[in-house]
Amino acid sequence: MDAAASRGALRTLKVFFVLLVVFLYAPIVILAIFSFNDGDVSFPLQGFTTRWYEQFLSNPLLIGALQRSALVATASSLIAIVLGVLASFALVRRRFVGKSAASALFFSPLVIPYLVFGISLLLLFRLVDQALTSVAGIYIGLGLHAVVIGHVVVSLPYVILTVMPLLERLSASLEEAARDLGAGTWQTFRRVTLPLLLPALISSFLIAFTLSFDEYAIASFLAGEQPTWPVYLFAQLRVPSQLPQLLAVASVILIASLLLVLSAEIGRRVTERKYAGELAGRGIV
Amino acid sequence: MAAVATDDTAKAWRRRDRAVTGGLLSGPLLWLLIFFVAPVVYVGVYSVGGIKVFPTDAGVLSLGDWRSFLGGDSVYLSLFWKSIRISFTVSVIVVLLAYPVGYFLALCVRKRKYVLLLLIIAPFLTSYLLRVLAWKVILGDTGVLNSFLVSIDARSPDHPITWLLYSQFTVVLVLAYVWVPFVALPIFASLDGLDTSVLEAASDLGANRWRAFWRVTFPLSLPGTIAAFVFVFVPTIGEFVTPKLVGGTSGYLFGNAIQDLFTTGTDWQRGSVLAMFLLLVVAGLMAVFGKFVRVRSVAA
Repeated sequence: MDAAASRGALRTLKVFFVLLVVFLYAPIVILAIFSFNDGDVSFPLQGFTTRWYEQFLSNPLLIGALQRSALVATASSLIAIVLGVLASFALVRRRFVGKSAASALFFSPLVIPYLVFGISLLLLFRLVDQALTSVAGIYIGLGLHAVVIGHVVVSLPYVILTVMPLLERLSASLEEAARDLGAGTWQTFRRVTLPLLLPALISSFLIAFTLSFDEYAIASFLAGEQPTWPVYLFAQLRVPSQLPQLLAVASVILIASLLLVLSAEIGRRVTERKYAGELAGRGIV
Repeated sequence: MAAVATDDTAKAWRRRDRAVTGGLLSGPLLWLLIFFVAPVVYVGVYSVGGIKVFPTDAGVLSLGDWRSFLGGDSVYLSLFWKSIRISFTVSVIVVLLAYPVGYFLALCVRKRKYVLLLLIIAPFLTSYLLRVLAWKVILGDTGVLNSFLVSIDARSPDHPITWLLYSQFTVVLVLAYVWVPFVALPIFASLDGLDTSVLEAASDLGANRWRAFWRVTFPLSLPGTIAAFVFVFVPTIGEFVTPKLVGGTSGYLFGNAIQDLFTTGTDWQRGSVLAMFLLLVVAGLMAVFGKFVRVRSVAA
C-alpha cells in the first residue's frame, strides 16, 4: 500500500501531471507548427513551407539583432563568470569582516525588479554623460556596452549560486597539496581548481547566456540605437506581415534552448555523479 | 610554527592574507557598487528632487511627487493595487497548479522523478518573451484558437471571442503559464526530503490519507509552498512585459505606467517615485518573507 496516495488519487495526480505538461508545451508546439504554415497564422493550415525560414535568414535587420544579442550574451556571461568566481572564492575560502553584508549585496540583483534596475542604469548613463560633456566634451551614450554592464549585474548572483556549492564541496586541502608540491598560486588555480570547477563554469555560462539573450526589460532602456533581439522582436510585433518569420526564429530558439537545457542538465548530473564517486573514493570530498 | 614566528612575519602574513581577500572582493564589489547600488541611490535621490536631470526639473528638494503619488485619488496608486491584485491571483493559481505536481513527483514517483521534474522546469529556462508571444498568437481575434473555432463551425468569423486577448484574464493566464514551472521546484524540494515512513506511522495510528496529508505532509511542505508563493508574487508586482504584449488597456499595470513615464513621457522624476516605491515594497516583502526563501534552494 502506498502511504502518499490511494489508487484513485494516484490516477488523478497522473492525469493532472500529463495535462500540465501538455499545457506547458502545447503553445511551443503550436508556434513551431505555424512557422511551417504556408499562409497567415490562423486555421485552417495551408500546407508546408520553409519560406519563413528563408525570409528570416535573408533579413539583415533581424540577423543583426540576433548577432548583437549573441555578442552581448557572450560578453556579459564571461565577465559575470570572472567576477562570480572571484566572489565565490572570497565567500567560501576567506574570512573577512562584513561577509554577510557582502553576500547580501551579491544576491540582491536576484530580487530587484529589472524594470527598476533598467531605469536606474538609464539615469546613471544620463548623469555621467551630462557631467562628461560639460567637463570634457565626451559623450558615451547608450548602446550594447550599457546592456552588457546591466546584464553582468543580474547574471552575477546566478554564477555565484552555481559555483559556490561546488567550491564548498571541494576541499581546500587539494589546493594546499598542489602548493606543497611546489605549484604557485596561479599554477594551482589553472591546473587543479579550474578543471574541478569546470562543470559549474559551463552551467553558469549557459544560465548567464540564456538570461542575457532573452532579457528585454533592461535592454529596452539601454540598447539605444542598437536593438538586441528581444528589443527588435518587441518592435516588430506591431507589423503583422513580419509575424510568420518571427515565429520561425522563435521556434528555432525555443527548441534549441529546450534541447540545450535538457542535455546540459543531464550532462551535469552524470558528470557530477561520476565526480562525486571518484572524489569520494579518493577521500577528497 | 606560529609560536616560533616573530611578530613581524605574522603581521606580514596577515597583511598578505588581507590583500588576497581584497583582491578577490574588489572586482565584483566595485562592479555592483558602481553599476547597481549607485544608480539605485540616484533614482532615490532624484525622486525627492535632489538632482537635476532635465532642464525642466526644479532641482529643489521636495516630497511633492511622493505626496501626489500617495494621495487618495492618485491614478498610479490605484494601478499599484491593481498590480498587487493580479500578482496575488497569479501566485495563488500557480501554487494550486504546481502543488499536486510537486507532490506527485516527490512522493508517488520512484523512477526517473528528476527527469520528469526537469520536463516541468525546462520551459522556464527558455525564452520568457517567446512563450508570451506564443499566447499572443494563440489568443488573438484572428488567432489560432478563434480561427480553429471558426474552422470547425463553432463560431462565426464575425464574432470571435474577443476577451481572449487584451484583458486581465489574459494577463493572469499568461503569467501563470510562465511561472508554473519555476514554482514546482521549491514545492518538490520541500516534499522530496519527506520520509514516507512518517505517513505510514500516521496511518498505523489510524489517520486516513486525507487526515495524514493535512496533519503531516502539508505542514511539512508549508515553508516550501510559501517560498513558491513569494517567488511568484514578488517579481510579478513590477511586471510590465506580459501586460504590454497581451494585456491591452484593461490589462495596463503599475509597471507599464513606470515604463511609459520613462519612455513616451518625460516626467522621469514622477517615474522615479513610482520605481522607488516598487523597490521599497519588494524589499519590504523580502524582509518579511525572506526566511522562507532560502536563496540556495534555487540552485539545487
